[in-house]
Amino acid sequence: MNIKLVLKLVGRVLLMEAAALAVPLAVALLYGESPAPFLLSIAIVAAFGFGLSVLPAKRQFFTREGFAAVGLIWIFTGLVGALPFIFSGWFATPIDAIFESCSGFTTTGSTILTDIEALPKGILFWRSFTHWMGGMGVLVLATAIVPKLGIRSHYLTQAETPGPVFSKLVPKQSQTSKILYTMYFALTALEVVCLKIAGMPLYDCLIHAFSTAGTGGFSNRNASVGAYGSAAIEMIITVFMLLFSINFTAYFLLLTRKWREALASDELRFFLTVVFGATAILTVTNLSVYAGVGESLRYTVFQVASIISTTGFGTADFALWPQFSQLIIVLLMFCGASAGSTGGGMKCSRVLLLLRAIRREIHRITHPRCIEVVKLDGKLVGESTLHSLLVFLGAYVSVIFAAALIISLDGFSFSVSFSAALTCVSNVGPGLELIGPSGNFAAFSGLSKLVMSLCMIIGRLEIFPILVLFSPSSWRRT
Amino acid sequence: MNIIIVGSGKVGFSLAEQLVKEEHNITVVDNDEQALQRAGDQLDIMTVRGNGVSAATLREAGAADADLLVAATNADEVNMVCCLTAKDLGTKHTIARIRNQEYTNSVAELRRSLKIDMVINPENTTAVEISRLLRFPSAANIETFCRGMVELMGFRLQEGDFLVGSPLHTLPAQIKKLALLFCAVDRGGEVSIPNGAFIPRAGDKLYMIGRPDSLDQFFRQLGRYAPKVKQVFLVGGGKVSMYLANILDRMGIRLKIVERSEARCRLISERFPHVTVICGDGTDSELLESENLSANDAFVALTDRDEDNLIISLYAMQQGLPKVITKCNRQSYAGIVRSLGLDSVISPKFVTASHILHVVRGMQNSQGSVMNSLHRIAGGGAEAIDFTVGPNTRNLGVPLRELKLRPGILLAVIVRGKDIIIPEGSSCLMADDRVIIIARESGILDLDAIYAAEPAAPGGNGK
Repeated sequence: MNIKLVLKLVGRVLLMEAAALAVPLAVALLYGESPAPFLLSIAIVAAFGFGLSVLPAKRQFFTREGFAAVGLIWIFTGLVGALPFIFSGWFATPIDAIFESCSGFTTTGSTILTDIEALPKGILFWRSFTHWMGGMGVLVLATAIVPKLGIRSHYLTQAETPGPVFSKLVPKQSQTSKILYTMYFALTALEVVCLKIAGMPLYDCLIHAFSTAGTGGFSNRNASVGAYGSAAIEMIITVFMLLFSINFTAYFLLLTRKWREALASDELRFFLTVVFGATAILTVTNLSVYAGVGESLRYTVFQVASIISTTGFGTADFALWPQFSQLIIVLLMFCGASAGSTGGGMKCSRVLLLLRAIRREIHRITHPRCIEVVKLDGKLVGESTLHSLLVFLGAYVSVIFAAALIISLDGFSFSVSFSAALTCVSNVGPGLELIGPSGNFAAFSGLSKLVMSLCMIIGRLEIFPILVLFSPSSWRRT
Repeated sequence: MNIIIVGSGKVGFSLAEQLVKEEHNITVVDNDEQALQRAGDQLDIMTVRGNGVSAATLREAGAADADLLVAATNADEVNMVCCLTAKDLGTKHTIARIRNQEYTNSVAELRRSLKIDMVINPENTTAVEISRLLRFPSAANIETFCRGMVELMGFRLQEGDFLVGSPLHTLPAQIKKLALLFCAVDRGGEVSIPNGAFIPRAGDKLYMIGRPDSLDQFFRQLGRYAPKVKQVFLVGGGKVSMYLANILDRMGIRLKIVERSEARCRLISERFPHVTVICGDGTDSELLESENLSANDAFVALTDRDEDNLIISLYAMQQGLPKVITKCNRQSYAGIVRSLGLDSVISPKFVTASHILHVVRGMQNSQGSVMNSLHRIAGGGAEAIDFTVGPNTRNLGVPLRELKLRPGILLAVIVRGKDIIIPEGSSCLMADDRVIIIARESGILDLDAIYAAEPAAPGGNGK
């Protein structure tokens, strides 16, 4: 392992993050709040980043260095994000601050805060801004703007871009990253405009647009989006949550006028089918809670979009819904958004491929000599891709259960412990019962919070980079 | 430039690797998922899986606005159809690898009817490269510039050469007045550009550039002038050997080929009646000795196994042959091979890739100056680049002593009309000059990029 080069990369990304901290600093100054937490953080991060970035290093960079760099960068990023929270004095312990920061960057959106509205505007802005950076990816941003990061830079972005197969929009990684961020920025700006027209204050527009874009879920209101009580705002956010959980390649194809390719994606169809299906079923089953079809539809569609996009905004507390509805919500948490989007979860394309692989296996048992291939978008999916898909599923479930096991030491019910682990690994935000849309994560022990923070990063990077980082074999010299 | 490479084999990969370094947008198309994965993992490129013949695949790879398509799959016909389809879709230029001799004989017609801009035949290119080395046996490597007006040669210093042990600026006057320049030195794999204070040591590989007759003179002074090659011993009777036999036949060089397969032997003998064809195992030292190996002027190992080629080349070198040329496809062992003393190692994929690179560079006209060709020398440790000075190139007419070049860059030769100028402090660049630059780092794409960060303004700074 060429640890020096890995640390050097970490240093470069930290420098970029120090620059990003200037954004909330400006907001704090604008609202006449104390700039101290941000100035202090910038000084520390910049000094540390600079120290690492000048390390002399050999240029040997292979797969394991790539994975280790991604893992380390994300762990450091979580710590960096926590600094302003710690210095602000609004968080009881550093662990709480780290949890909040990891939840921000990984676009989970779980919080340990009980009274969000009491916090200064600068801190709340940073909290949502981490969603925006983490959504498309810190490293994707780094490859777009840091020149000459590019020693095999796709190792870095590959780990950060979710989905079973990694594909670029254009041949150069830095160019791909730039296009992704431009589209991301444009969509976010569009949402800000829409929300403003719907009557939201500008500051709240930015907060919610950042949180929607990253599919994170931090709000500056205690009651989340429900606080506005406006159907228009809910509609806008619903649409944008769904837009941000579609593969960004589709937007690129639309921009380059390849309409048919853009709309012909199997994953997109599957995603929309799931959204419509779940909404239809839940609207009916939730009639027992709501007054009529209209009201039921309004709260259900928002919640379905919020959960499948792994955003986690709330307008209604699904903890009060019938058990059947709650189980569907849990299934949606597993499924998650599309590959190549900003959302989390298993990703629709994986679920779709798994279903097709299962169908093939059944077919194979009935016709032992039959040869059948699995296709996605009319293209052959290689056996090695299917194989790694199954391994991914195994690892995903294992991580969730291992985390649930540790969290259960705190003595909460099975559904709380399990849904906490699931919601963290899938980067959703709320869980069931105690940690539902109207609850928070403050009650957990320090150990649980650390485990959950790590789970969020594991989930955001799709399991393996962090496992590689902690596996002894990648650190052995031989 | 947007470049599509069809076929991610040896040549395709090697080419993509180099073109990525030069900041081109590369898309590689191949049918084989694993080959694509390997390429995509190591290089900053886009990969498209599919058959390069299909219009859908090519469209997906962006053939509509590609500047160049290189078809380098192992099937000639596929390459031809690829080029044809790509041209139809809107690709500006196409290059096809075509190796079957039946096709290459009618290259002109093929090029016209299939609208292929360039046909490259790796075996033929390799054979031409080998024949060049045989023509100038004194040098281990040789590169030519400006239609042969300037040559760059590399040779290894031996104990007892008069160059060894004294700084270059103390060389005798009759050497100094020759139109040549020591432009690079390779010491144990470390490539540097020597200055006057440089003290050569035995075992160094020195590269010099200059007028061909001056280089000849120098070798005479060094006592290393090898007479013309008259008799070549060749092991392996593959395609390269056939092309080489054809060239050497025309040059009037006698050739002896050892080949294992009897059918192949018959074919060679039928086509080249002057060649002595021996049917037998070329790796068998007894056979080589019985065929009087050491009496030849040069030895070429061209079997299809790299290992065999290296071993028999070492054997031939030990037998005291003045010139040993080895075909070795694998680049990764270049360092080891050189440390064994085998200087003339030829890799067909490398030769093919650099041949295509020359064309690509020629297609891309930079702002102020035009790059004519780029040669990688010293095992890839340095580059020799041939530019034509344009009317807008920086620092025209400014004496060189007032200019500061970037470190690791040498302005080696200026060709003005028919004159070969080895630059001095008072020389200056003029429009339409040809200039050959030696650069230790790669990525110099424009003549304006050779100056240090704080350049002297043209005409100013004369105080």
